[in-house]
Amino acid sequence: MTPSVITRSLGKRFGRKWALAHVDLEVAAGQGLLVVGDNGSGKTTLLRLLAGLLLPTLGEVEILGSSPQQPGSEARSHLSLVGHQGFLYEALTPLETLALWNRLGGRRKSVAELENLLAEAGLAADRDTRVSGFSSGMRKRLSLTRLHLENPRVVLLDEPFTALDQAGREWLLSTLSRLRADGAALIVASHDPQRAAPICDRAIRIERGQISWQGSLGDLESAS
Amino acid sequence: MRNVATGIGLLGILLLLVGSYVGLFVAPPERHMGDVQRIMYVHVPTAWIGLLCSTFAMIFAVAYLWTGRNRWDDRLVGALEISVILGGLLLVQGMLWGRVTWGIWWTWDVRLTTSLIMFLLFAGVLALRSFVEEPLRRATWSSVATIIAYVDVPLVYFCVRWFRSLHQVQSSPETVHSSMIIPLRINAFAMLFIAIWLIAWRARIESKSRGAERPPERIEIQGAQNG
Amino acid sequence: MSTFQQTLFVARKDLLLGWRARTRTLAVALFGMVTLVLFSFAVAADGEVGVSAAAGFLIVALLLSSILSLEESFRLETEDRALEGLLLLPVDPVAIFYGKAIANFVLLVLLGPVLLPLTAIFFSLELDGANLLGMALLWLLAAAGIAAPGTLYASMTSRVTGRDVVLPLLLFPLTLPILMAGVRSFDLILRGDAMSQLKGWTLLLAAFDLVYWVLCGALFSRTLEE
Repeated sequence: MTPSVITRSLGKRFGRKWALAHVDLEVAAGQGLLVVGDNGSGKTTLLRLLAGLLLPTLGEVEILGSSPQQPGSEARSHLSLVGHQGFLYEALTPLETLALWNRLGGRRKSVAELENLLAEAGLAADRDTRVSGFSSGMRKRLSLTRLHLENPRVVLLDEPFTALDQAGREWLLSTLSRLRADGAALIVASHDPQRAAPICDRAIRIERGQISWQGSLGDLESAS
Repeated sequence: MRNVATGIGLLGILLLLVGSYVGLFVAPPERHMGDVQRIMYVHVPTAWIGLLCSTFAMIFAVAYLWTGRNRWDDRLVGALEISVILGGLLLVQGMLWGRVTWGIWWTWDVRLTTSLIMFLLFAGVLALRSFVEEPLRRATWSSVATIIAYVDVPLVYFCVRWFRSLHQVQSSPETVHSSMIIPLRINAFAMLFIAIWLIAWRARIESKSRGAERPPERIEIQGAQNG
Repeated sequence: MSTFQQTLFVARKDLLLGWRARTRTLAVALFGMVTLVLFSFAVAADGEVGVSAAAGFLIVALLLSSILSLEESFRLETEDRALEGLLLLPVDPVAIFYGKAIANFVLLVLLGPVLLPLTAIFFSLELDGANLLGMALLWLLAAAGIAAPGTLYASMTSRVTGRDVVLPLLLFPLTLPILMAGVRSFDLILRGDAMSQLKGWTLLLAAFDLVYWVLCGALFSRTLEE
């Protein structure tokens, strides 16, 4: 079976600096890949390239057999990215935010279903509060709700555990385990290997834009 | 390529010297305006070549958006900068001419006004460019803004013409003696060659500033193999 | 969901955001008012200016206010990268452009009921039922001509440092045909169109609008590339 995510000698240059180079990756359906590396090593660039938000300078990205760069491609409708930013509008309520993503994403969930999603995220009581009044943890929960809304087959996460409390982290882990069991490929960039351990089976380390190490999660600790 | 460009540039300078000599000393003085009219031998070519350079910019912008190749962006910067410089020169020449013939530095005449707006439009594109650091973004944005600005030029021209027509009548083109046409043409070609040379030169500088096209050496991956 | 439905949905979202921030939207109108007052004092404190000058003040007030309105429209998109969140969805970027352009157009049109009567009052212009219709059409065409290139340029300048200077620098020279055509048409509507020039100016405005609504829509997705 072809892997869900494939990159071939992927490289990205910003100005004079190569932020990423020679990245060859394969992540199969139902697999979890942990990406570790120092600040500025290229983790976020990698995720943004995989999501199609950046154009590769060299090489190519293939998500479920198509390129995520083309707007309206198959890849776009099957991948979710949750990054440092929450993609939120300050003046909208959580319910309106979900309705916007739901409609523009071409999904047809009913209002009741959206309310259920908010309840799962622990935001039921604040469904009519504007996002501008949210704490950073609540904002994170709201942007993670996108995973429930979209049921993606490829999940890209950039430091997903920051700002979340204990309950929030457990909720996120159970969401990700369920998606993975359903055959989603997960790619998680995190400074916190322990937290991501339950959902990842492999790890890579990125140093100055290149993969410097790869192996199992167990070996990661002894390698570092 | 580089030698060809330099050759064209030198030819241009030579022609400019010849054309200016003919314009200043050989061609007869104009009947009504006298020697002042001789500024036309640089003024008219400046206008023609300035317009041509902005057309080059438009073509390079389309070529960049079409192919995504950096070399078109390099040429685009050259064409934009030269057309802005020629536009600035044109305005200064126009003001000098106006001061001597009409006694005023500035008049809102059709061509002068259109030149001013063109100058502002393309200077704006260069300003946008200077604010963007990321090369890919800078190149696409410059191309897009160039196309948007260029399309405005005919609209501006017609607008100004209609707008002014309420107040003053357009002067009809005068018949020009052939001895006046020759220096005009020589200088036009001279400026065209110089412009091409400068654009090529500017494009070369831009391409050098791009940095390494090739990624750094691949480092060896440690740990277990993909499995 | 078709591209057309997506467009309407994006426009609705932007208008909702504009309504939520209605004190700010009102402040933009107030800013337009202030510029009108400034102009009237800069030229003649007793309000004795010609129809052409009054028309010029009105369109310039619209242009100046449009900068504030356009910048706000993209500040909301870049604050938490909300626009990026939309682009990750399988949505047509063309729908995002036209949705935002329509919303910006509506916000600019809404300045009309504030600025137009004020101009008439400040500069003693005779507005009646007959010329009000022409005036409304003129206002719609002018607002549309600013909205399309304004939305495209604001989407770029919202992502650079020094945006507050670049947007007017790009937009004002570009929209000079709107200013000229607007001033002339205004004059012709109020003082009579003896030589039937109004049609030509209206066509010119319409041509400007058509060219830029098509062109900007076609180029928008390219400006998103990084």
